[in-house]
Amino acid sequence: MSMGEAHRRITEYLNRFSDAISSQDGATFKSLFALSSNSPFLLSLGDALNLFQDPNRLIKQSDNYSQFADILVPLFRSLLNYRQNNLLEAYNAFEKTANAFIQEFRNWESAWALEALYVIVYDIRVLAEKADKELASNGKSPEKLKGAGSVLMKFFGTLAGKGSKRVGALYVTCQLFKIYFKLGTVHLCRSVIRSIETARIFDFEEFPKRDKVTYMYYTGRLEVFNENFPAADYKLSYALKHCNPQSEANIRMILKHLIPVKLSIGILPKNSLLEKYNLLEYSKIVQALRRGDLRLLRCALQDHEDRFLRSGVYLVLEKLELQVYQRLVKKIYIIQKQKDPGRAHQVKLEVIVKALKWLEIDMDVDEVECIVAILIYKNLMKGYFAHKSKVVVLSKQDPFPKLNGKPVNS
Amino acid sequence: MATEPKAVTEDVKIDLFEDDDEFEEFEINEEWDDKEEGKEVTQQWEDDWDDDDVSDDFSLQLKRELESNTNKN
Repeated sequence: MSMGEAHRRITEYLNRFSDAISSQDGATFKSLFALSSNSPFLLSLGDALNLFQDPNRLIKQSDNYSQFADILVPLFRSLLNYRQNNLLEAYNAFEKTANAFIQEFRNWESAWALEALYVIVYDIRVLAEKADKELASNGKSPEKLKGAGSVLMKFFGTLAGKGSKRVGALYVTCQLFKIYFKLGTVHLCRSVIRSIETARIFDFEEFPKRDKVTYMYYTGRLEVFNENFPAADYKLSYALKHCNPQSEANIRMILKHLIPVKLSIGILPKNSLLEKYNLLEYSKIVQALRRGDLRLLRCALQDHEDRFLRSGVYLVLEKLELQVYQRLVKKIYIIQKQKDPGRAHQVKLEVIVKALKWLEIDMDVDEVECIVAILIYKNLMKGYFAHKSKVVVLSKQDPFPKLNGKPVNS
Repeated sequence: MATEPKAVTEDVKIDLFEDDDEFEEFEINEEWDDKEEGKEVTQQWEDDWDDDDVSDDFSLQLKRELESNTNKN
């Protein structure tokens, strides 16, 4: 590339930039910030900046550009560094661009530049992640993603007003969620959620569908962490119902967290669902619940322990043991009922011990009594103990209440 | 023969670190039809599975086990 060609490309970019602002052309404007998109136009601009020694001189030589120097100077520096794979420097400069952009954005009355804001918000997160990888590989402390979170909070504050810009607030929120989940600081989600869900300025239904789906996915996952299963079921089911049917990866991700929630409230996924979305790690768990097979449940948890732990659902799945115990005792009761209907409601604890022994689970009568006591307390079984004779006497009416979409009593 | 197990462990490794559950971005102006959303996927659940049927293999084995134990006592 010649020096003249480099000059031409930089000038072309600057003209597009100022024209987009003067004509409020949001589509063109957003494309000028999309570093991580690796668009040929921006890549060639990066090459031009590498060749042209002083692009800042071009910015300052015209009033059309110089009034936006606070955005453009660091943006050029970011583009140049990104092209040279200096990701830390690219991020640092882009953060300056983002801060300058938000100052300008506040002054624009309409929301014409909202899509450019989305691009900046997305890229600052992506660049921060890349910069942190670079820092970590050089043995330094990765801190840029945390910094990006602080910048995005400023963006959120700007959008949390009364005008047409407020529809952008949920997109920023979702990017913040991605940052907080990645950093393991999910407690920071609370203040943003409070703003979205309690502030009168926001009407959830007016947000774009893609943002509502993403928001419900992340807040649903938070409800899973808090073991608030009815709320988790509502939010993740909303995300599932409204997700783009073409986006199979996202549907799979929603299901990965919704399935444990559904299991916890006594609802099973069909095998066809597990097969279609390659979630077969749940098939043995479903089978264990159907059968009352405690050994199978424990094996399934052990086999996929890493995966379940990483997704944050291991503890939820582990608590399904009580439902499996309930199912096993219910089967013992039904088998007894077929043989001797008159005495079926009296189940000897010794019989449960034997059933567990057959499943290679060693428990003595006292331990089984403990489990049965918990089942009764949690309303998974109705009955009482005849303690001396080591028998549980089951209610003649509905001895094994169904969950009916409600969580086990805590 | 020595290469086969290696291929298997590589597969497992890829599978194990498949993702960190980060939701994929939808395109900024991505729209989709309300009518085609989630219809099929929301019908893939069973809430009335906990029946009194004990004719499956597991239940029959359990029954045999309990009866054989009863006979021994």
